[in-house]
Amino acid sequence: MAASETTVKLERVSKSFGEFTAVRELSLDVRAGRVFGLLGPNGAGKTTTIRMIVNITAPDSGTILLFGRHIDADLQDRIGYLPEERGLYRRMRVADQLRFFAEIKNMRGKKVDAKIDEWLARVKLSEWKNKRSMELSKGMQQKIQFITAVIHDPDVLILDEPFSGLDPVNVELLKEIVLDLKRAGKTIIFSTHQMEVAEKICDDICLLNRSQKVFEGSLRDIKRSFGRNAVAVRCEGGDGVLDDPALVSKVVRHADEAQALLAAGADAQTLLKRLIDSGAVIGKFEMMEPSLNDIFITKVTEPA
Amino acid sequence: MKKFLSVVRREYIQRVRTKMFIVSTVLLPAVMSLFVVVPALILSIETPPMRVAVVDQTGRMYSQIRQSLSNEQAEPDAQNANAGPQRMPRRSFSKFVMEEVSAGSQSLDQIRASLDQRLQSRELDGYVILPPDFLSQGKAEFVNRNPGDLFSTRVLQSAINRAAREQRLVDAKVDTQTRQELFKPVELQSVKIGTGGQEPESGGGSFALVFGIGFVMYLAILMYGQIVLGAVIEEKETRIAEILFSSVKPFALMMGKLVGVSLVALTQLAIWGLAFSVFALYGVGILASQGTRANIPSIPFSHYIYFGLFFLLGYFIYATIYALVGSMVTTAQEGGQLAMPIILILVVSFYLFWPVSRSPDSPFSFWVSMIPFTAPVAMLVRIVTQTPPFWQIALSLLIGFSSVLLIMWVAARIYRVGMLMYGKRASIPEAIRWARQA
Repeated sequence: MAASETTVKLERVSKSFGEFTAVRELSLDVRAGRVFGLLGPNGAGKTTTIRMIVNITAPDSGTILLFGRHIDADLQDRIGYLPEERGLYRRMRVADQLRFFAEIKNMRGKKVDAKIDEWLARVKLSEWKNKRSMELSKGMQQKIQFITAVIHDPDVLILDEPFSGLDPVNVELLKEIVLDLKRAGKTIIFSTHQMEVAEKICDDICLLNRSQKVFEGSLRDIKRSFGRNAVAVRCEGGDGVLDDPALVSKVVRHADEAQALLAAGADAQTLLKRLIDSGAVIGKFEMMEPSLNDIFITKVTEPA
Repeated sequence: MKKFLSVVRREYIQRVRTKMFIVSTVLLPAVMSLFVVVPALILSIETPPMRVAVVDQTGRMYSQIRQSLSNEQAEPDAQNANAGPQRMPRRSFSKFVMEEVSAGSQSLDQIRASLDQRLQSRELDGYVILPPDFLSQGKAEFVNRNPGDLFSTRVLQSAINRAAREQRLVDAKVDTQTRQELFKPVELQSVKIGTGGQEPESGGGSFALVFGIGFVMYLAILMYGQIVLGAVIEEKETRIAEILFSSVKPFALMMGKLVGVSLVALTQLAIWGLAFSVFALYGVGILASQGTRANIPSIPFSHYIYFGLFFLLGYFIYATIYALVGSMVTTAQEGGQLAMPIILILVVSFYLFWPVSRSPDSPFSFWVSMIPFTAPVAMLVRIVTQTPPFWQIALSLLIGFSSVLLIMWVAARIYRVGMLMYGKRASIPEAIRWARQA
């Protein structure tokens, strides 16, 4: 799916609550068969944007198109939404619960039961089918919530912080499912502030900060535009060199290695030379792409 | 519409299935019937007759007292004859076995001593001494092994009283015929208007019925209002609301919830109504055949319908406000606090039961039965006591259900915003602003 169609399109969408502008003049293009990362710090306007896409709130101005149409009840049924704030009916049995969520997406009849079994098997919770959700662990509840978003086989899947609070095994499980859905040609909007997750899963990203779009594009393009200006260094001694602001704008020290972001005008060769000159014993010196996290922090802390 | 029905069905099935529903459905009629049956059973417990000796120093009183007591045990006493034939058989409480102690040659002290001894040995429960000047002075002495038994004392006193009256009339040479004429009891029968005087109404039973209906109405509105409050808070607290709102319109969701719970309530009330009718039809008969008379007046079928209608009116008024409150708060405790004023209004509407049942036709009763918040209890009480003209009932329902629509419209607007506001309780000015926003 090289040139996939635009499924969700926002044009100059704004929304304010009283004095506070939650989203300002936001335009987006989300394409089918790709994972679109809606990134930004808390309060950037991600959730408001999503609520407008799923028709929970209406924008003050601008247009939102799904499959080229304005949202209506039929289109709403083609969306699967897993909000950041989510829950289950505590006393309701898992299967009843899933059937209810399918019904309110206008999916009824025998095929619902088949879907319930299929999805429970897929997230390895088949034996919990007739348990009440209050008997499930938090992680299990998360997976059931995930199913509520996909049970009706939506064309657009919107996931708001889907992996928060999950253990790594289950994160991997859900990530695989999301990638499978993407391969099946679904449009996936993925909202998070966990950049490491976004980096592994998103094809395109849009970074929001203070109600506005900071940039939008494919992850690859964004990284390329930032250049390879980060270096991973493992060395003994030579600490003073990494702290020289003329060479390194920022250094993050991990357990046994440091990540240095080169200062403007400095290059890696000079840094390596200086380290050797200072008598440091170098175990590793590697040019790195900037992590999404670095880009995020750079952009967010940049003066507007 | 299909989604709305899904919401209704979920709400209904999930609630009817709960243990709470089953327990409360069974428990209330059980408790109610306990209140009716147990007193009747207790009152019908046979106690051994009281053995009383009479020392009649006047020489004329004993046979009169005997007569008076046996009359008393055979039929309701004249003072309370107007209470009608459906009274509890309280006579069975105080049966007496009388014996006369002739003074003979013994002195009063000697008689006393021997009677006291018989009291000690429990051959006797008490004795009465009528002094020679009893008929003129009207003073007698009752020595009782159990002075706490005020009831028997009172029965005995009134019997002796009547006996003395009779004897005085005999002494005054009033013949038997005239005496009977003089003491013929009057009967005051309470009759409900509109029945052509054919149907005697038993005052006590009807009051209990009106009270019972008013109370069940109040209780059901309160209970199911609270259930709606809990249901809305649950969806907000567990954050299900946001998923739901992405699929169902907030208005459909709120209405689905209200209608679903109302069906649960109607189910429960129908079971209660049925249980009551079955009890009224068969239970009373069975009890009566066992000698226990339980007092259950018959209820016209139309009253059941009116009860249903006014219940729905009260339910939708209060439950909609409860839904509104639920959407404004973040926890059940906050919900309880903010709901206090509603409960207060509801309690007031219940207490209106007293003035309305006393004068169901007064202007006051008319107005409170038109105000939607008080109409459910007030109008129902009026219907049961003194059915008002149909136009008044229709008008009350019209005003009520129009108000329901208005309240729903306002509530839906607040609900839509409130359900997605996490973190803090919404203030009332905020809620008003939400309601104003399109």
